[in-house]
Amino acid sequence: MNADTRVKNAPVVGPGGRAKLASPGAKRRGRFDILPYALVTPLALFIISLALIPALFTIVASFFKDQALNPPVRFNGFENFVNLFNDAGVLSSMGNTVIYVLVGVILSTVLAVFFAVILRKKFLGRSLLIAVLILPWALPGVVNGIIWSNIWDSNTGLVNSLLTSMHLIDTYQVFLGQNKFMTILAIEMVQVWQITPLSTLLVLASMQNIPDELYEAASLDGGSPWKVFWSVTLPLTAPGITIAMVQAVIATLNIFDQPYILNGAASTGASVTMQTYFISFQNLDFGQGYALSLIITIVTLVLSLGILKLVYRPVEY
Amino acid sequence: MASLRKHTRTGAVLASVAILGLGLSGCSPAADKSSSETKGVTITVALFTAPPPKAALAEFTKDTGIKVKWSTIDWDSLQTKIAASSAAKTYFADATDVDWSRVGQLGTLKWFEPLEDYLDTESYKKDMPQLDSFVSDGHVVGIPFDASFLTTTVNTEMFEKAGITTMPTTIAEYTADLEKLKSSGVAEHPLNIPFAAAEGLSTYWYQTTAAFGGTVLDGDGKPQFSDPDSAGYKAAEWMVNGVKSGLVPPGNINVSDTQGQQTLMAKGGVASTFADYSGNVGSLYDIPDTSSVVGKVTYLPTPGVDGVGPNVSNPDGIGIPVTAKYKEAAAKFIEWFTSQKAQYGFAGGEGPDNVFPGYFLPSRLSAIEQLTADGELAGGDVLTSILKDSARPVFPEGAPAWYPEFSRAVNTNLHAAAAGSMSVKDAMKAISDTADKLSSGS
Repeated sequence: MNADTRVKNAPVVGPGGRAKLASPGAKRRGRFDILPYALVTPLALFIISLALIPALFTIVASFFKDQALNPPVRFNGFENFVNLFNDAGVLSSMGNTVIYVLVGVILSTVLAVFFAVILRKKFLGRSLLIAVLILPWALPGVVNGIIWSNIWDSNTGLVNSLLTSMHLIDTYQVFLGQNKFMTILAIEMVQVWQITPLSTLLVLASMQNIPDELYEAASLDGGSPWKVFWSVTLPLTAPGITIAMVQAVIATLNIFDQPYILNGAASTGASVTMQTYFISFQNLDFGQGYALSLIITIVTLVLSLGILKLVYRPVEY
Repeated sequence: MASLRKHTRTGAVLASVAILGLGLSGCSPAADKSSSETKGVTITVALFTAPPPKAALAEFTKDTGIKVKWSTIDWDSLQTKIAASSAAKTYFADATDVDWSRVGQLGTLKWFEPLEDYLDTESYKKDMPQLDSFVSDGHVVGIPFDASFLTTTVNTEMFEKAGITTMPTTIAEYTADLEKLKSSGVAEHPLNIPFAAAEGLSTYWYQTTAAFGGTVLDGDGKPQFSDPDSAGYKAAEWMVNGVKSGLVPPGNINVSDTQGQQTLMAKGGVASTFADYSGNVGSLYDIPDTSSVVGKVTYLPTPGVDGVGPNVSNPDGIGIPVTAKYKEAAAKFIEWFTSQKAQYGFAGGEGPDNVFPGYFLPSRLSAIEQLTADGELAGGDVLTSILKDSARPVFPEGAPAWYPEFSRAVNTNLHAAAAGSMSVKDAMKAISDTADKLSSGS
């Protein structure tokens, strides 16, 4: 077959025997092709109108005093940010959120890796287990909150009932609202229960890409299962773990439904996003609400980039 | 082939343009001019309750030609939507919730239509004792559709078991009876106070303060509870002491109002709720599916300092946002929804077809009186008497515009006092400081 009879865009065999496509624009260089742009434009506009413009608006508006009960809207520089950092409620919620993020990201990632290792091997009922596993993730946060409020309930809850029947406690315990750390831990358990399924699937997808040959080679070299996990599985799952950790950071930084339903507005569990809600929609101080949203966005970006830098490793097989 | 590819390419470009057009038309501001049309229009009604029965809505449509699209949204989300749509000046519903606690805010911001422009609100006054709770700056911003107020409920069987034959009329007698219930072993923790940091705790304190003979704020929004001898301070002390002395279950520090009513009062876990919701006997405690105390719980005229005390109103209203599309039609709906006939039917007066699930208590005295006369309302005599003579607004001068922030200070600090992380004195000071700051406008 010579070049003149070759069908345009047909696969050709390149160096190393790997198939590749002939460049479609090779013979039409210089001709403007509208199709790719036309196809991308709706999505690009969608992102611009629903993400970038609101983000830009939030950045600008956070430097304005925009209080519905105290018009007009006027520029006030960094005053919104200064006020936020002088607000005891906001500072307390920031402290709480740090704990939510630390507990949530670490616990959900460890559990995700653990479950992914179990699910990697084929066994009877594996598909069903994966389907069941995804259920908590599919439930709305409010529903999760209501379910768990019955579980943690200090008067009639399941946990107290179980612990009592197992003779581990004599009297019913108060899990929420009394001790700050215990409250945050109990609330974050609910969120971990909810976000771990997605993290597991992300890690599992990455884990399943690891060729079996690598495990066989490691086994022939006499590597113990533990050594194989540390030297083969974990490093090669880094991309999946990175995505799982980033989604956990986003979820935990924005935790709202669970603390709001399980612990109300109490300072023992209030999160930063709850403060955003209180400031924006109860106090009707939109300027300060924008400022706090902007802080959350920046922290999310910084943490996500940090995770990318620390955890992500490009993987080639 | 080339022709086919060209057509495919052109089709793809056109499809993209069409999608773009659709997207842009969706993003463009809606024509938000309201219409005075009523016949043949469809209005959106957004409330936190399930829709009224189909039969009742069909009757309304038949009479007026107005169709109703009902949108059930939980209370918190509804307040968020009202604020967001009003601030952004976008349409969200033609008629929606006006909570008594938001009247000051909504009135000040002029986010709701003055209903006297649409309805003969003067004529409503004599039949709706709680209409005053919806007046801001002389304008009626909502019409109460539910006459909720706070009142005391008692489990008579438990009281009798403890040897209490005469019901208490003062707080001192009531407290002594609760102690007797505890010491006799009838109830380990006889009193339900929902100490979760939520609105239910705030309203419980307002009611207890009223029973102790005082008010929370004066007409200028200044706190009336800083002094240890004030009613508000004593009410807070009484409530927190309830937890410390074991009258209130220790786990109640994180129990919300409805949770306490459903899991404790309705299950016989406690013997009394000092500030319960009117209507709960008929809609919760006497319902076999949700209660194990059917026929055992009754309303008790709320004990006060020297005798029966007052009851604070907690009504739900409905109004027309200024961004509504069909204001006249919405007004017609409100007129029907709060009419004596509809309310009588919603509460069960016209048989099961017109019963409104979850409906508490008609806001019209005439409807309550008729239901009581027909024997259709549990505790009707007590409720009628309270609504006529005893129920009063939490804030006689109207809820302040900054109420939500104040209420949050109330419930978070009282919760902290009950949890033991701060004293009652510190909690009262924190709430008082917040009220001072907000009322001074700083």
